This record gives sequence, structure tokens and C-alpha cells, in this order.
Amino acid sequence: MRGPPGRHDQQPKEQFPAVEGIIADVEELKPGDRVVYPNQGVCCITGVEQKEIAGQTLELVRMEREEDGATVMVPKGKIPSIGLRKVATADQIEGVVHYLAASYDDPELDWKIRHRDNADRLIAGGVLGVAEVVKGLHSLSRIRPLPTKEREQYDNARHLLVHEVAVSLAIPPALAEDYIDYALMPPSGVTFKLKPPPKPVVLPTYPSYRPKRTGPAPGEEEDDLGLGDLGLGLGLGLELELDETGAAKPVVVLPVDGEAVEEQGEQQAESTSEDHPEPEPVEAASEDDEEDEEAEVVAAPPKKPAVKKAKPSPKKRASVKKAPVKKAPAKTAKKAPPAKKAKAPKGGKKK
Amino acid sequence: MIRIVTLSPVEPEDMAFLTRTLFQAFGLGTEHAGDRSLPPEAEQEDGRYDAVVLLAEVDPIKTFADDKVLYLTGAELALQPGPLGEPPCYSFAQYGGERAVVSMAKLPTRGVSESSIEAYQRRLARESIHAVGHLWDLHHDYDAKCAMHPSWSPALPDRPEMDLCNFCREKSERKIRLAKT
Repeated sequence: MRGPPGRHDQQPKEQFPAVEGIIADVEELKPGDRVVYPNQGVCCITGVEQKEIAGQTLELVRMEREEDGATVMVPKGKIPSIGLRKVATADQIEGVVHYLAASYDDPELDWKIRHRDNADRLIAGGVLGVAEVVKGLHSLSRIRPLPTKEREQYDNARHLLVHEVAVSLAIPPALAEDYIDYALMPPSGVTFKLKPPPKPVVLPTYPSYRPKRTGPAPGEEEDDLGLGDLGLGLGLGLELELDETGAAKPVVVLPVDGEAVEEQGEQQAESTSEDHPEPEPVEAASEDDEEDEEAEVVAAPPKKPAVKKAKPSPKKRASVKKAPVKKAPAKTAKKAPPAKKAKAPKGGKKK
Repeated sequence: MIRIVTLSPVEPEDMAFLTRTLFQAFGLGTEHAGDRSLPPEAEQEDGRYDAVVLLAEVDPIKTFADDKVLYLTGAELALQPGPLGEPPCYSFAQYGGERAVVSMAKLPTRGVSESSIEAYQRRLARESIHAVGHLWDLHHDYDAKCAMHPSWSPALPDRPEMDLCNFCREKSERKIRLAKT
């Protein structure tokens, strides 16, 4: 049983479809009623009381957890949204036990999805959701031991299920657990005549998240951060091509001919004219670089002028790629100064 | 304190082994607190004893707060049938409560050889740890090496371990620490 794809933090959480028996109207609750508080267990309504909290008078529904007598107080207005529900009926429990005894598909192996889905099921999945968590983690435990967090989640889910089954069937919890494990781990040679399983809990569908690129709006010019000047070229326009041996060799995409530059539009033309008045990249090297021919002996892949020229907006980049690709000749590569080398001669000058 | 009450005769060596093992498992003092008789109210038509009724009707012994009482019986125990039938009953406990009962009827035959006696004692100790574990709020465990694994599970080895897994041990220790009076 596989869950939906992962939900990104920024995505809004979808609401579950209402589980059977969920309490949407506060007026349904009366003192003495037994309800199931998600992740807390079976509680008994003890009354409604008014309390002043932070200057506001709130009407709070007071309930007591049956397991240990802990008091839970919920504002009346919050009742419909917390997933409070009625205790499952005997028929529902029978369906759950049959579901536990049925064979199970491969468990979800992505722990993030599994953990999130299980948490969702425990909160809003009703008794069947809790059973799904128990069964899912149990079947996973057959493949490999559960990590600590999931071991705790498994134990919590089992605890909730045991108590709800016990309350629903009016039997001791230990007996309820025996029923559950008799279904989960039947003795050898025992086969059950199972009823069709109940409809599984519907989890919200999470659309796959694609982070949007915050690029410049159409018509706006992308700001040049000047990283190339600092020797921190982003490597745009630098494509790696594998040679026969499998080693990557740098291929610089250069708008060599005039047509390519024209295709890139006015923007590109402006930027090239500002930085390098001459269209040819080889000669467009700065004056400082020309002085450092000694240092240029060492060939370095990222060439400053190439990086500068091939750093247009995404639109430009597309056009650049369309332009005929030329491998930078060895001589040109040598002449083009490496980003780091640009600084070296300055030190040399000082000396 | 764990108090063991026998509803059927138990060999002194077995009792000594059991008290020692329970002490090691839970770190609580364990003693044989006396003998009682099986409550006739719990007996069913087939000769088995209803475990739930047995624990409710058995003669009590003097206990203090947080004491756990473990009853040992040679009679076969029965449980109320559930949606899928009646699960096998090796032991039964009042979850988080005071009383538990272990049936020795389903254990391997004690025999006379050292190995068979050892196997019997180890299995008795395992079932006792399982029952007392329920008294300390432990649930069944999926790990077949843990004493809290269901006794009828097909994954259980022929000679099952009589120790708690780390998770169950830590949980029981936490509960015992909180409950100590």
C-alpha cells in the first residue's frame, strides 16, 4: 500500500474526507458520552465549562481520558476540526479485525512519506486508519527492524487500537490485543474466512512540488551580480561533454559569429558592448589579462570572457544553445585567462 | 514486588528459577506468596478455565501498591471467542493492572532429563515475563526474540528467548520508575 508523493512544507495541508462517526456538531455531545480523541484515546465527556483565558471567556468541553483519568479541555469552536469521533461500533471493529487478517501489499519504503501518512492516519483516519498504521508497520517490521521513531509510532498506534477495540467490544484490553494479534500473526495451520475488507482510508492527494524559479519578469533584465569579475563564474554557458574515455572535457559555448549575437537580442548586444567592445571573445579579454601571458600557460577550463558572454537571462541562454557550438581551440583556451589567474598578476605587479 | 501464587503444585526448582528470572527481567523483588485453589466459577463445560473470570474470582492475597500478582496454574485456560475465533491462551493479564495468570498446560513436557527440564523452565519463565510485562503496560512485540512476542506466533522459535527487547525493557523500566511508591 503506497501513499501519495511527499508534501512540501510550503504546500497547504489538504483536509481529509470526513471519517464515519466524526463529531461535527458540539451539540451532539452530552456528559457521559464516550468519544475518541485522535492520538489520545477514548475519553469520557464530563461537561462544559466557561473559563477566562487571556482576557477571553471561552466555553470549553471537558473530557477525561479513560486510560489514566487525564483531563482534556477543548474550546467548543474547535471540536469540529480536531477529529473527535464516536467510539467505533462492533461491526466496524469486526471489519478492522478482518482487515488486519487480510494479506498486505508491500509497505511504503520511503520513510518520510510513510511517517507523514501514518501520522495523518492516526489523526484523521478513524479506527481503520489506526489499524492501517499498525498493519503497515507490522508488515514493514517483517522486512527490517523499525527505527526508534516508528517503533514508538507502532506502539502508540497499537495502544490506541487495543483500547478502542476493548471499549467497543466491552472486553479487557489484553483480550482485545489477543484478537488483534491473532489476526495479524495467526498460528500455523489456521486460516480465516475473511469478509471483504472495508474501504481503505482516503489520504489527501499531494501534487508533486516544483519550486518556482524566481527569475526576472518578462521585459526585465536579469541583474548581473558581477560574480565573473570576482572570479566566481557560475559556469553558465559551460557544458561538459564526455570524451571517449569518459572524462569530462569542457566545451565552451560561444557566440562566435555575429548572427548568434544578433539572435540573442538587444540585451545581449548591449552587455557585450559594455563589457567587451569587440565581438570576438578571444580578443575581448581584458587588458590586464593580456599582460599575463606567462600565467596563462596553465590551461584552466572556466574562461572569464566566455563566462561573461554566456551569462544571459534564461531566454538568452536558450538562444545561445541554438547557436552553432564551437569547441574553443586550445590556443584560445590558453589565451583566455582563468578566473583565478586574473588575480595572480596583480600580486606579481606589486612585487 | 512480584508475588507468585500457585494454583497448582510447582516444583521448588522451577519456582526458584522463575523468581530469579523475573527479578532479572524487571529488577523487582519476586517471591512465592502462597497457594490458592482454582475458582469453580471460572470452569467451563469443556474443563478449561475462563482466564478473565479466573482472575476476577480467584482468592486474593495481601498486596501493597504497585505489587503484581502472578498466578500459576496447570489447568488449561480459555478466552472468549473474538471476530476470528478464539485465540490460544498461554497466559492472560489485566493490562496495566495487578493480576496475571500463566497456564502450564501448554508448555512443553517437563520430562526428567536436564535439557527437557531446562526447556520447560525457560518457557515457563518466558510466559511469566510476558504476563508480567502486560501488567507493566507492555504490548505485544513483533520481534520474535522478545518475550512479549505472542506465544502462538509461527515466528516463535522452538526454544524462545526469555528476555525483553530493548524497547520493551526501557518502557517497562520507565513505567516501574514512575510507579514506584
